[in-house]
Amino acid sequence: MNVPPPGSGETGPDHIEHQESARRLARAALLLYPRAWRARYGEEIFTLLEDTGGGMRAVFSLAWHAVPAWIWPPRHLHDRDDRMRASLGTVLLAWSALVGISLVFVQLTQFQGYRPAGHPIIGWCYAVIDAAVAVSALSAAAGGLPLWLLMLRRARREHRLRDTFYLLLPVLAPASYLAALAATSRLVSHPNGFSGLQFLGVTIAGFVAAAVACAGPILALSRLRPRGPAVHVAARCAGVAAGSIAIAAAASAIAAVGLSLWAREFAGYHQVAQVGGYLAVVAIGIVAATVGATRGLRSTLARPGR
Amino acid sequence: MTNRLDRWADPPLLVLASLADEPRHGYAITQDVAETMGVRLSAGTLYAVIARLEAQGLIEPLDAVDRRRPYRITMAGAEALAQQSSRMRQVASLAQARLSVRYGLTGA
Repeated sequence: MNVPPPGSGETGPDHIEHQESARRLARAALLLYPRAWRARYGEEIFTLLEDTGGGMRAVFSLAWHAVPAWIWPPRHLHDRDDRMRASLGTVLLAWSALVGISLVFVQLTQFQGYRPAGHPIIGWCYAVIDAAVAVSALSAAAGGLPLWLLMLRRARREHRLRDTFYLLLPVLAPASYLAALAATSRLVSHPNGFSGLQFLGVTIAGFVAAAVACAGPILALSRLRPRGPAVHVAARCAGVAAGSIAIAAAASAIAAVGLSLWAREFAGYHQVAQVGGYLAVVAIGIVAATVGATRGLRSTLARPGR
Repeated sequence: MTNRLDRWADPPLLVLASLADEPRHGYAITQDVAETMGVRLSAGTLYAVIARLEAQGLIEPLDAVDRRRPYRITMAGAEALAQQSSRMRQVASLAQARLSVRYGLTGA
């Protein structure tokens, strides 16, 4: 086998330092790849970078190609259950964020009884949001509850206290948040309920509680590594839940733009920065949810790896 | 205009062509492709291609030697390369014939 001599043969301190730097950067870039991909090709890439001297071109190239490695992973690296679990975690986070955003939107529009006359599009958007959030919540419950119960039963049977705690976080975090909210609302003396700043605080606290609630099952999924039909059903239901919440989020974005165009007197929807920030957050959430759900669904449909 | 192929090169084809005569590891592939075809394959591109070709069964890994894992073209890979080369030869012949008639150019 004809193998060209690797490296330039330099052994000076500059060369060694260069190699170390390339190794560090490559290790950082490789962290962007899926675990199975790193396990298969990581060592070879380190060796290649040592031979070629690495450099920023190689690091950027590695970082850039990490995106398709996630979206279209090679079939021979396809651990279907592992990918389904990873996509469930992504979807859960993105879904919670989008549900939170939708609820905040509903709070700032429908709960205020606001429906601008002569602009039925906004009214239709409200209806789409309500229906899509309901479908999404039902799908999430249908897929998530059996898997959650399965993991909880196993964690209790094997006396895994930490995993049991993680699995109870989706109950404990929202319950704590609601209890704190109830206690706080009694202390609020504002005649019309929460002031703007207080509402912002309550909203941020709600998103923190949601993030904690999501972190529990995600950690449990990575530690307990469940397999089988419950994971497949959860991945399919996550696809439906992500799709419907993406529709709700898109409808809320259309309604927000409609309010900023046609109902400039209402709330803060005439402020471009607020609406722009809202649309950006919604777009990021939709992309994360749909990419995660698509990966999970593809895994459920894929043939077992060779 | 540069005489390098970079913009028009199809990296999977270059890697298959590099492995057509003998197994090579990553560094050897980049060296061979650079020397014989004038294209510099970056680490990310090379291993994205290797992963894809391996998944398609067009190349296969051999045992690693000193942390360097050589790859060998499979029969399916050789057939795919032959088909693609034939197509490219047809395109090249057609292009050269038309350029010759229209501009009197005969290529390098």
